[in-house]
Amino acid sequence: MAYLKKTWSILFGVIVALSSLAQAQNLEKFEENVTEFTLDNGLHFIVVERPVAPVASFVTFVDVGGADEPAGQTGIAHIFEHMVFKGSKTVGTTNWEEEQEVIDRMDAAYSAWVEEKNSPYPQEEKMAEYWADFEKYQEKANSYVITNQFDEIISREGATHLNARTSYDFTDYFYSLPQNRAELWFSLESDRFQNPVFREFYEEKDVIMEERRMRVDSDPFGRLFEEFLGVAYSAHPYGRPLVGWPSDIETTTIKDTEAFYRRYYTNENFTFAIVGDVDPDRMRELAETYFGSIEPTGTAPSVTTKEPRQRGERRFVIEEESQPILIAGYHTVDQLHDDFAALTLLASILSDGRTSRLYSRLVQDEQQALAVQAVTGFPATKYNSMFVLFALPNQGVDIDDLEKAIFEEIEKVKEGDIQQVELDRAITNARAGLVRGLNSNLGLAMNLARTHGQTGDWRNLFTNLEALEQVTLEDLKQVANTYFIKSNRTVGKIINIPADGPAVNSNEN
Amino acid sequence: MNMKMRTTFAFLILFLLTGALHAQRSWDEIEYPELNSFTKPDVEIVTLENGIRFYLVEDHELPLISLRLLVRTGGFMVTEDKTGLSSITGTVMRTGGTTSIDGDSLNELLEDRAASMETSIGFTSGSASMNVLKEDFDDLLPVFIDLITQPAFPEQRIELAKTQQKSSISRRNDESMQIATREFQKLIYGPETVYGRQSEYETIDNITREDLINFHEQSFVAENMMVGIVGDFSTEEMTAKLTEAFRVIPQGSETVMDLPEIDYHFDSSINLVDKRDVNQSVVMMGHIGGLRENPDYAKLQVMNRILSDGFSGRLMRIIRSQMGLAYTVFGQYGSNNFYPGIFYAGVMTQSESTAEAIEAIFEQIRRLQNEPVSEQEMKDTKDRFLNSLVFEYDSRASVLNERMSYDYAGMDPETFDRLVEEIQAVTVEDVQEVAREYLHPDSFHILVVGNGEELGGQLERFGEVNLLDISIPEPGEAEGRETGDAAAGAEWLNKMAGAILNDGTIDGPLIFEGETRVDSPQGDMTIGVKQTIHFQTEALYSEIQTPMALVTMKIENGEGVMQMGGSEMPMQPAQLNEALGELYRHPVYLALNHETRNAEFMGMAEIDGKEYAHIRLEEEIVLNIFLDPETALPEVTTWRQFNPQLGGNIDIKMVSSDWTEGGGVTLAHQTVVYHNGEAGSTTIIHSHSVE
Repeated sequence: MAYLKKTWSILFGVIVALSSLAQAQNLEKFEENVTEFTLDNGLHFIVVERPVAPVASFVTFVDVGGADEPAGQTGIAHIFEHMVFKGSKTVGTTNWEEEQEVIDRMDAAYSAWVEEKNSPYPQEEKMAEYWADFEKYQEKANSYVITNQFDEIISREGATHLNARTSYDFTDYFYSLPQNRAELWFSLESDRFQNPVFREFYEEKDVIMEERRMRVDSDPFGRLFEEFLGVAYSAHPYGRPLVGWPSDIETTTIKDTEAFYRRYYTNENFTFAIVGDVDPDRMRELAETYFGSIEPTGTAPSVTTKEPRQRGERRFVIEEESQPILIAGYHTVDQLHDDFAALTLLASILSDGRTSRLYSRLVQDEQQALAVQAVTGFPATKYNSMFVLFALPNQGVDIDDLEKAIFEEIEKVKEGDIQQVELDRAITNARAGLVRGLNSNLGLAMNLARTHGQTGDWRNLFTNLEALEQVTLEDLKQVANTYFIKSNRTVGKIINIPADGPAVNSNEN
Repeated sequence: MNMKMRTTFAFLILFLLTGALHAQRSWDEIEYPELNSFTKPDVEIVTLENGIRFYLVEDHELPLISLRLLVRTGGFMVTEDKTGLSSITGTVMRTGGTTSIDGDSLNELLEDRAASMETSIGFTSGSASMNVLKEDFDDLLPVFIDLITQPAFPEQRIELAKTQQKSSISRRNDESMQIATREFQKLIYGPETVYGRQSEYETIDNITREDLINFHEQSFVAENMMVGIVGDFSTEEMTAKLTEAFRVIPQGSETVMDLPEIDYHFDSSINLVDKRDVNQSVVMMGHIGGLRENPDYAKLQVMNRILSDGFSGRLMRIIRSQMGLAYTVFGQYGSNNFYPGIFYAGVMTQSESTAEAIEAIFEQIRRLQNEPVSEQEMKDTKDRFLNSLVFEYDSRASVLNERMSYDYAGMDPETFDRLVEEIQAVTVEDVQEVAREYLHPDSFHILVVGNGEELGGQLERFGEVNLLDISIPEPGEAEGRETGDAAAGAEWLNKMAGAILNDGTIDGPLIFEGETRVDSPQGDMTIGVKQTIHFQTEALYSEIQTPMALVTMKIENGEGVMQMGGSEMPMQPAQLNEALGELYRHPVYLALNHETRNAEFMGMAEIDGKEYAHIRLEEEIVLNIFLDPETALPEVTTWRQFNPQLGGNIDIKMVSSDWTEGGGVTLAHQTVVYHNGEAGSTTIIHSHSVE
């Protein structure tokens, strides 16, 4: 929690620092346009009045993600996110009371089938019986469904950008509406998060399996990333696939998913942000009206497993038809750690823009790589995560030579080779990125909600910049020497199987 | 009304109002206030003497200025043998810097100020953009003008762009969606058309610096340019600055957006790209689409939104949400400005449900034709469009972009407002009519990129399946071919056949045993080989003993299987082709089939100090065989083979010696294979026989 000092003086400092670049009054104006309040039940709202056009964006941020999933239930945070689009007790159904009863029976039949299937000596007969029951109830349950009514209601009022994201750290739900329709968001949003329903649950799990096939199984990058995290992490949940293992997705039931919701979707985990042509007082009234009556809740548990220190370098090779890809990563820190700012700038100095070290040497001058990217905070940032280097060798370039060149560049960083001009450039670009990000309702709402939800104050969106500005060349050298060490590293590759038949390519065994 | 009553009444109203304010309402009870008024910002348009048009919109929210130049040009103007020239020109304009500032210095100049300038050229337009902080605008504008008028095009950056393009080509078969999009376009427009063709190693190799210079000179002239600018400036001052800066650009002549006609015949086919490393099929199906200027455009837009429009379209509602068959499903009748678009529908679904998903899409397309849309669905569909119109103008930049793109396409500025009116007027009958007129589900081309083995025979119900070959073509042989003497060639080949086969034929399978030494990166490795070859039936059995495992390989009837450690797997097409190639190059195979080969005698040739008779065989790859003039045995054979990983050809030379007779067959008991002149492997045969 090192740089989380929420003082006005720091904010003032940022404004002054930015003034050389942006007009100070614009950011002061920004602060003036922000209204914040917390309801008695703990739900927090951030409203930004931005009357550029008669529209507004609405974001529900929940501080729950894939990392919170219980063992054996990978993918459940994402499954729940999909279910929130299925409506509520009043939206999406012709008769909730009857539907609910049938859904409960359907889920019981499925649970029995799963249990039988995973028992030491599964009996075909019993499985068939449970499955027949399940299908019978599923068909019956579907007779009450008005498919995608939730979407229809908001879409016909002109909603755009309707979607949600699940990450390892958080889940957010968002859409934009014409500004006079704001009340619709309050009505539907309070309803769907208070009364989630598990309608078309098993069809939706099939949809999610297709999502997995698309993103992971049938995609070389997806396969490589999944393997990489699995190898790099031995204890922390960042090592598990976010979309879930197929067998976990299969065995997850409605009961499991509802339990996950009850445990983690607590009031204090929610942050709402509204940005656009809205009246903050009116938004507050509507928030009281629609969210005020929600009962206070307990506190959700947090992830306690810490990734232990790695004892030696880890390597893996995937042999397949695809062209070669390289990924290498070092375990580092979480986003609140003092070293996070220096690591962020290191990634930028290594690979952002055409002047960056890896781009100028490997892509441009030596033409070894088609693309190269350094990323900090992979796969997420709330817990200790990784600094990752990622590269595509050019045609005819040996992936091992490319790896060697990348590690040479890492060594130079450790020796203190980075110049002040490179550091300044990285800071300037981070600052400009922040300013440029201020001109989209949805982007702004997502960033404010997330920053508040993860750090307790949206102002950290700006104060993070101050942490970057304080980084010195000595800091860069020091973090490089702390984290970029061989025993702390995982290297993964996709190697193309040459079309030479079986004899020659068995040499990787 | 007396005072007291009035007060009571006022209280009552207040009470009711408060009640109204604080009551929760369900979605169907909410009454919406009027939308806050909004005036679309005016776009100031100024035309310079040299023909450039400027579009200016002020936006004072942030201290930024963003400029975008649209250029009337595109890949459609490039000749087929240089496909890729337009995009390389767009890339190197920026990476190569200008005659006054080289690429590296330009990168530093921009990145030090968190500014960006980018150039690119697409199929029917080009663009150059500049995004800067307001305070840097005056300094950087001249650099931008330099970039579009005086690009340096240094050789080194051209080489870089070509290397990158070629690397991308080598990777283009890795992702299913990329394959599907590309191959479907080829199916609809034809692989030889400007719409279906793609860059190849050869077309990239053909591109020269001269080509880039010419393409740029022809395209980046004032008559082709529109400049949009939005940001924190005053229109009057900015107009003066732009007028001054852009005056230097030569007028030139306007590019005619004259794209070739498409000769389309409605026809149906089912095509498969067999990709064994996936468990999900990507399906694309459809036929040619239309033009934006079609008077039925508005009706088609409503039809499109009924079919596919987020979660509310039919494809998502039915194929995703209700059937659970896909995460991604889509479809629309495409209309382009300058050439016909494509009507396509597609889905990504697991191998096992591919045919089911295709049929479900067919059903939804036929349903549009066979049954009228309900009034409710019609109203919801229109409402989705009409109520979201306000987002068309949710930023000043989007107002500017819309105006420019209509002008670019030659449509009047009222086009969008008219479209809104037309969409309001579309009826249920209209939708059914356009679905019947423009959609032809009986004439669909269907493309599946998926795992042939997992798919099994599913696709056969849609017709005879064409297996598409997407292997990447090697760069063509640039040098012209000499022709040789065919009669003398046949004679030499006949002599060779006699030298190999005592009786001119072979009665049974050839069996031999030996070992191959391979120089691998891990050092030498010796592999034991036992092989049985049936030349007449083109069947082959091998046992390969590697230091790690015993691998057996069986090829019969054009199919191959490999077995290792108790598990069996089908051979990949590349492996199979390689093994069959070896069979077809085998001297015994050539001897047996010599009468049907086309051999040409190319004269005498000297290799390593020895004189040979050189004959050339036009097989799938060209074989050069060098015969000992005395014995007529093929001592040296060379050919050129494409290595997709290297993206280039390797020259292979096979030197055969220690010729030994056995069972009526004379076989080389030692062969050494050289790759690009370096010894790759040596095979020693211990014994051979014919059964």
